Amino acid sequence: MKQLKRLKNMISGGEESEKQKDKQSDEEMKTEETETKTEETKEKTTKKASKRKAKKSAKEKAEKADAKTKKDTKTEKPVDKTEKTSKSEVKKPQKPRSDSMSLFEGRDVDTITRSNITDDFKQAVIDAGAESLAICFQCGTCTGACPSGRRTPYRVRQLVRRSLMGLKEELLADDTIWMCSTCYECQERCPREIKIVDIVKIVRNYASQAGYMAKAHKMTGSFVIKTGHGVPINDATKELRKRVGLSELPPTTHEFPEALEEVQTILKTTKFDSLIGYNWESGEIE
Amino acid sequence: MAFAYFLGCIMNNRYPGIEKATRIMFENLDIGLEDMKGASCCPAPGVFGSFDLTTQQSIAARNITIAEDMGMDVMTECNGCFGSLYETNHLLHEDEDQKEKINAVLAEAGREYKGEVNVRHFAEILYNDVGLDKLSEAVSNPLNLNVAVHYGCHFLKPSAAINIDDPIKPTIMDELVEVTGAKSVEYRDKMMCCGAGGGLRSRDLDVTLDFTKEKLDNMTEAGVDAIVNVCPFCHLQFDVGQTEVNKKYGTNYSIPVFHLAQLYGLAMGLSAEDLTVDAHQICVDSALEKCDTAMLDKLDKVTGGE
Repeated sequence: MKQLKRLKNMISGGEESEKQKDKQSDEEMKTEETETKTEETKEKTTKKASKRKAKKSAKEKAEKADAKTKKDTKTEKPVDKTEKTSKSEVKKPQKPRSDSMSLFEGRDVDTITRSNITDDFKQAVIDAGAESLAICFQCGTCTGACPSGRRTPYRVRQLVRRSLMGLKEELLADDTIWMCSTCYECQERCPREIKIVDIVKIVRNYASQAGYMAKAHKMTGSFVIKTGHGVPINDATKELRKRVGLSELPPTTHEFPEALEEVQTILKTTKFDSLIGYNWESGEIE
Repeated sequence: MAFAYFLGCIMNNRYPGIEKATRIMFENLDIGLEDMKGASCCPAPGVFGSFDLTTQQSIAARNITIAEDMGMDVMTECNGCFGSLYETNHLLHEDEDQKEKINAVLAEAGREYKGEVNVRHFAEILYNDVGLDKLSEAVSNPLNLNVAVHYGCHFLKPSAAINIDDPIKPTIMDELVEVTGAKSVEYRDKMMCCGAGGGLRSRDLDVTLDFTKEKLDNMTEAGVDAIVNVCPFCHLQFDVGQTEVNKKYGTNYSIPVFHLAQLYGLAMGLSAEDLTVDAHQICVDSALEKCDTAMLDKLDKVTGGE
């Protein structure tokens, strides 16, 4: 959608509000289609032809081009709405359309090529523990089962596909990979018994190494470094614990400093501290 | 029978009534609960599993070594902890190379994972080791409640590794709940996630609350008196999250939330104060009153209504 808007702005000069523009061009299309049969046929033929051309290019591109056609119609037409009823006014912009019908414009930028693919990424995900990645046949059952996908742009099938294809860079930079709640509904239903949640976690591990970590997550990590607990105790809970006759501090790293040291040693050994940018002196995330 | 009692974080550091209820209940059932001294966060599978699996497995394995030293199976009553510990235990059992790798990390802290103990979930122990018959004997105060059972995700899934009950249509928790006299009410998308897990709650609260609202809508439609869970994180999400949903969507949900241990506490006659349900964000009085009324009704019958 963003691309579409940007395109619209480019063509129309971006002076009017997007909604208005959408509405207008839609109306124009309607007018054309209902009022001028011959024009409609003409236009459809053009559209079909252009779609045929675009067959090999991505779907987005076809949509873009469609929008572009619409826009062209609009920009060359007087803006005044009252004039819309006039058939001749509507017909006018049809002529130069063929010039601007190139669906291939910008193709080099958007098409996936070898250069987008990180060769060893698929194997790296497999080696990190997700052997079953290789047998995915992209049926989409996972996405169909996904409660996150019902309300967010997160598509777990796409995550698996990108892992398979080695589209590492765009996958790691994609914010939606963090919208999985790891509920395992996809994995339970996968007809290939692929360990999908393992794939999600491995991909997130790579994203983390690449620096895509949320501050809130780093904070949870820093709590464990400082106290051994992701959710450390607070004064209110200490009171509650005392009230019901439990020890004020639970018998965990909270009560045993030497145990906390063990945890900290482990976190240093795996370099978790530097991964999240933990500063041991200030106790803050850098 | 005795278990190494793994506390985790949210239960002991936010809802100590769950811990209290469990300790009393297990004493009544004559099952030992030994503290795992110096245990830490499981660690949180959402953040640690997502950031670095080696770190997640190392911290989890360290916790398991504490139970190995005690020579006891681990018991946890948190799905998140269960997931983190169980999956690590399972993996290190299956994968010798990974076990070596993790042990190399643990050696720095003077520990070694041997793979000698099992990781068990509280609800599964109640069902398989204690049994419904013995549990129903322990109920002194039957509960007149219609409850929405929330299984959560990491109690039963991934089922291929965990194998406790059918992950799509389980009955284990419903049976456990109905022992208390409460009725488990069917509701739409009962097996759906609360939305908190996978690091979603801390990173993207809006998405989490959208999950939670859908669950609350469906539970409300079914007309329930309370939500019962087996995971302090789901518990927190339904308790604190319910107030957040109300704030965000302008709704007015007020469904009381109980961990299964607290529900058993009520059924065993423990006070609301002991269960710390009075400290919940969502007031539980409506559910408590309904239980008390049920008791009063019974008393009336016994005494001829005088």
